[in-house]
Amino acid sequence: MATTACFIIVSRNDIPIYEAEVGSTVKREDAAHLHQFILHAAQDIVQDLAWTTSAMFLKAIDRFNDLVVKLFLNLVSIHTRLMLLHDSRNDDGIKSFFQEVHELYIKTLLNPLYLPGSRITSSHFDTKVRALARKYL
Amino acid sequence: MANFLAQFQTIKSSSDHIVISVEDVSGLWPTVKKGFEERLPFKRACLNNKTRNSVFVENLPAEFILTTDARLRSRFPHEQYLFWFREPYATIILVTCEDLDEFKTILKPRLKLIVQNDEREWFIVFVSRAHPSNDQATKMAKKVYSKLEVDFSSRKRERCCKLDIHSPEANFWEDLDFKIVESIRNTLDRRVQFYEDELRKLSEQRFMPVWNFCNFFILKESLAFIFEMAQLHEDALREYDELELCYSETVNVPGKQRDFGGLERGDEQAALLNSGNKPLNEIVQDDSFREFEFRQYLFACQSKLLFKLNRPYEVASRGYSFIISFSKSLTSYESILPFCMREVWVVTASLALIGATSSHYKEGLVALDVEKEFHRLEGDLYSLCRLKFMRLAYMVGYGTYLERSPVNSASLSMLPWPKPAVWPSIPPDASSEVLAKEKMILQASPRPKHFGIQRKQLPLEPSILLREANRRRASLSAGNMLEIFDGRPIDGVVSPSNKPHTAAMVRTNSIPGNFESSIDRPMRLAEIYVAAEHALRNTISNPDLLKSLSSLEEFEQKYLELTKGAADNYHRSWWKRHGVVLDGEIAAVSFGHGNFDLAAKSYEKVCALYAGEGWHDLLAEVLPNLAECQKILNDEAGYLSSCVRLLSLDKGLFLNKERQAFQSEVVRLAHSEMKQPVPLDVSSLITFSGNMGPPVKLCDGDPGTLSVNIWSGFPDDITLDSLHLTLTATFNTDEGVKALKSSTPIVLNPGKNTITLALPPQKPGSYVLGVLTGQIGKLKFRSHSFSKGGPAESDDFMSYEKPVRPILKVFNPRPLVDLTAAISSALLINEPQWIGIIVRPIDYSLKGAVLHIDTGPGLKIEESHAIEMESHTDVMDKTTMENRSLGKKNNCHSLKIEDGQVEFPDWASETNSVMWIPVRAVSDQLPRGSSSVDSHKRNIVDGMRTIALKLEFGMSHNQIFDRTMAVHFTDPFHVSTRVADKRNDGTLLLQVTLHSQVNAMLTVNDAWIDLQGGFVHTGKGDGRPTSGFFPLAIASTTRAGILFSIRIGKVSGDEANRLDADTILNIKYRISGHRTRGAHPPVKVDSTKSDDTEQDLTFRSALVFQRPVLDPCLAVGFLPLPSSGLRVGQLVTMKWRIERLKNFKDEVLYEVNANNVNWMIAGRKRGHISLSPEQGSRVVISILCIPLVAGYVQPPQLGLPDIKEANISCNPAGPHLVCVLPAALSSSFCVPA
Repeated sequence: MATTACFIIVSRNDIPIYEAEVGSTVKREDAAHLHQFILHAAQDIVQDLAWTTSAMFLKAIDRFNDLVVKLFLNLVSIHTRLMLLHDSRNDDGIKSFFQEVHELYIKTLLNPLYLPGSRITSSHFDTKVRALARKYL
Repeated sequence: MANFLAQFQTIKSSSDHIVISVEDVSGLWPTVKKGFEERLPFKRACLNNKTRNSVFVENLPAEFILTTDARLRSRFPHEQYLFWFREPYATIILVTCEDLDEFKTILKPRLKLIVQNDEREWFIVFVSRAHPSNDQATKMAKKVYSKLEVDFSSRKRERCCKLDIHSPEANFWEDLDFKIVESIRNTLDRRVQFYEDELRKLSEQRFMPVWNFCNFFILKESLAFIFEMAQLHEDALREYDELELCYSETVNVPGKQRDFGGLERGDEQAALLNSGNKPLNEIVQDDSFREFEFRQYLFACQSKLLFKLNRPYEVASRGYSFIISFSKSLTSYESILPFCMREVWVVTASLALIGATSSHYKEGLVALDVEKEFHRLEGDLYSLCRLKFMRLAYMVGYGTYLERSPVNSASLSMLPWPKPAVWPSIPPDASSEVLAKEKMILQASPRPKHFGIQRKQLPLEPSILLREANRRRASLSAGNMLEIFDGRPIDGVVSPSNKPHTAAMVRTNSIPGNFESSIDRPMRLAEIYVAAEHALRNTISNPDLLKSLSSLEEFEQKYLELTKGAADNYHRSWWKRHGVVLDGEIAAVSFGHGNFDLAAKSYEKVCALYAGEGWHDLLAEVLPNLAECQKILNDEAGYLSSCVRLLSLDKGLFLNKERQAFQSEVVRLAHSEMKQPVPLDVSSLITFSGNMGPPVKLCDGDPGTLSVNIWSGFPDDITLDSLHLTLTATFNTDEGVKALKSSTPIVLNPGKNTITLALPPQKPGSYVLGVLTGQIGKLKFRSHSFSKGGPAESDDFMSYEKPVRPILKVFNPRPLVDLTAAISSALLINEPQWIGIIVRPIDYSLKGAVLHIDTGPGLKIEESHAIEMESHTDVMDKTTMENRSLGKKNNCHSLKIEDGQVEFPDWASETNSVMWIPVRAVSDQLPRGSSSVDSHKRNIVDGMRTIALKLEFGMSHNQIFDRTMAVHFTDPFHVSTRVADKRNDGTLLLQVTLHSQVNAMLTVNDAWIDLQGGFVHTGKGDGRPTSGFFPLAIASTTRAGILFSIRIGKVSGDEANRLDADTILNIKYRISGHRTRGAHPPVKVDSTKSDDTEQDLTFRSALVFQRPVLDPCLAVGFLPLPSSGLRVGQLVTMKWRIERLKNFKDEVLYEVNANNVNWMIAGRKRGHISLSPEQGSRVVISILCIPLVAGYVQPPQLGLPDIKEANISCNPAGPHLVCVLPAALSSSFCVPA
């Protein structure tokens, strides 16, 4: 499991709609800030990349010292981004993680009470994502 | 071969263009030199590149050198292959000859000798000096030239050309250019081929032990240089790329330990753009080169070519990755390199690269995305440089002046400390510097966070510097760590309480004598700073960089320059997030310098970015700074809105105490002396929504109350001085919306509050909540947001798009209540009667309703009696009615009437009810009976009375229902009389018919007539019918008759007064009706009387009797007119005969009345006639008249003014009209001519 990993879902309006620190290390108080900052800055890169590729899974769009930002573009609901900041080497695991979370996200979207683009507050979703993180990362 | 390196480099630097040798056989060069050199450089020279494709070189520089020149003569043959690039690419042989024999004997052998060396590309230029006028000489020259062509040109290749000095042929120079370029091309191809072959050979041996990289390098670079000389930069670049690849493959062969380099003074200044920084022979090591210098050298060569190719973008892009990878290499050699070598190198390298690329870069020359990418790279370089510079600054003790922002923290805290083999130790004579640093540390208290935010500061260091530095000192073991922290709190975060204590302790420790022994004790922070500074002074040779680190001001200036550069470039690359974040850093510096205006502007940009994209964690870092700026700038509106934004951030981001501080700021400002009310949008903080469930439904015109849920995001209770809430009609938006007001102060608790607002009457339609406005002190706040009904945090942006649920529905006007009369049949006039009014609420509560009763003229309410009210169903129920008729009172409620107002009881608010009002219709008129003679029928309108009802009901009696009701009152009977029989003795049998007028049973108990004068009852009695007839029951709408016998009596003197009075019929009766049906027994005003002693009612009706008219004194008769009829203009005598019937008067006054228009009257129109008093005496009055008008006209009338008409008997009566014929034709008028 990756020691540090921050998973985030960004809506097409660049608004983070879900955040989770899924690393195995004891959470530093300031880590969330830094991770958010890195992921936010990576939006600049995403905005350039998103239009140039048709792949859903983009490896390592940004590196920050040891941390790598990976991106999973969700084409179903236009340009919702699943982004992972991590220091893991397990690329396949990350890909599976993204796929499963993507599926989860689609399920959430299908919920008639969920307003697309709003914050995902479902605790069920959160639990599942964390379980997936433990499994794959 | 490596020995040639020095020579190679000098040659390379001296020769940078192609050489063309000139073999001046006939001493012509001085003559033609000028013309030849004018052709330089060659335009559009067609050369072949490495892949043998022809390429046009726009400008090919070259030089003509005579073969006799020392530069060409002095070369050793063995050098030729090695430095072949400097050998001539073409040989031009200049000859002239004017004699064929001379050519054959002397010139030809000599030329043959020259051209026998096949490796050279040569051609002959025959110069003809013959003047055009000199035919002989010209011919000769032609001959010699043709001979020359035969001898030296072949079919394959034309090797001769002729230059006529006096009149050069038009295409000679083009021909010459072509020939030269052709030669160059051939030579180039041959040499490239040669080098490639050599290189291939060498490459094959690459993994053999004898292989020498230097040899390979010289060959490869020679090849590259050849291309470069030929202006084929692309090919040259490719050669360098291959060289780099080869080097990187060979340099790190395991098992071969080589020096890395970079240990010399000045090495820390990056030479990645300066290929001539160090001579190559100095960096040779064994069979290769030192990595540190050589990789920079290669990059410098590449960048030079790229600049020549005008691709600064590529330099930047390659440079950035080069710096990154080179920095990694430096990391691996960090232990042997000088302290912080890597950081310094990256700083200088980035700066050099930025300087070079930006000076070569011209805007607008490349595609937009390349331009963006270029700026992005520049931004990256700047921020890389900035990062390393910050690290250096931190090491020398400027750390406290660095903003602990996310961007700095994210970059610095994950960047490891430099790892020198041994951490630099403090120089012996640095005690004063240590003291100065101590002072600086103490003075630089960390900037207090605004609002007393006690968030842990973001780190700028990967681990604590104190620990890291001491750990890396050889003499210190890790066990001493406790000792380290004992003296000094960690990392400059000084808590105020133990400040003096530490300071004192430091001073005792910093006495100069202690420094020798300081090896054994851990270094303090100030000492680390000083040591690092000294070490850096040794490392850094660049005076600029040294200066930038020398003082705080210089550091800040450099820091600002780098940050601005990065921000600017990121902005131009459209990487707004990177750019804006760095703007925030600039703002922090501006803030530190007291330039709050600039700081606020930049902070606003950052906040807008984070807020716009909803990254609250990051926003929470910057927003307090912005707020502080605005506070200092006295920008109240901005400061307030910042406070509100701070409050509306996720609750978890700030402690409750901090949030309370924000709120108290808002409240303090709101109640402070603000010049004018400040508008403020609190949409994110105060949200509101209607109640769940169906909207409030109101009838038109009704006020109501609206309860609204307001979520307050304030951490504490907050008092709103006033609150306005607008309702927006969904049907019509442009109608001015009226705000619901609540001017009493409202205290909002944190979280959900339910506020009830009074709702004035609204127009029909459905309404949604509009805007919430209100005031806190002088602060006018405004909120647009509607929460979904969930907690306030879930304010997602989509909620604006949601169709808003109507909160209020006001229905179109409709009848809400109906008032109708309970009965339609008539009531008794002049008696107290119940008027029933059915009150029928139509799905609307009449709670508290008030009925105003206003009776019309002729009707008054019996105020002494209470109004009764009962349920309508009870009234309709038969059994109840029967009970009622039995005198039992059920469910009947008495109501008081005051000032014509009746208040409704509560039970009647929802059900239909009947209200009984006791009234009395007053009529002074005595009812008159009708007779066969005087068929006077009473008008129905006479019995009509109106009662105006006004019902005020609804929440605040706002609903008004008006109705004017007509109530019909009538007498119980209508009386008609008829003389049934008339006897000669004057006795009359009078039949009185009673018509029942009411819808009730009437019982007549007694009836009698008070006769008028002139009539008397027959017999002695009072004329009452036999009492046995009574009681006489008369059902409704039936008739009954009573006969009275009367006779005409004498009119005595007294009775003469009564002559004009009417005869009155008196009837005593009882009525047994019910109020629900119509007329009924009168309301008992005095309720003390028992029901049994029911009084008879009296009905009085006037009967009109007329005494018989049997008293004529005179009879007037109109005597017949002549039978011939009347004619206009013909005299006629009108005659009236008056006969005395009674002895009455002696003289009779007569008067003839005639219309003057119709009649001309002759005789006395008025006069007395004397008539003998005897009965039967007659007199005839005749009057002569002439009718004037033809037609039916009224004849003159005879009137007797003194005598009452009743005393005149006209028998027969005079005609009303007589026929007057037109005048007969008269011949006298028709005189013939």
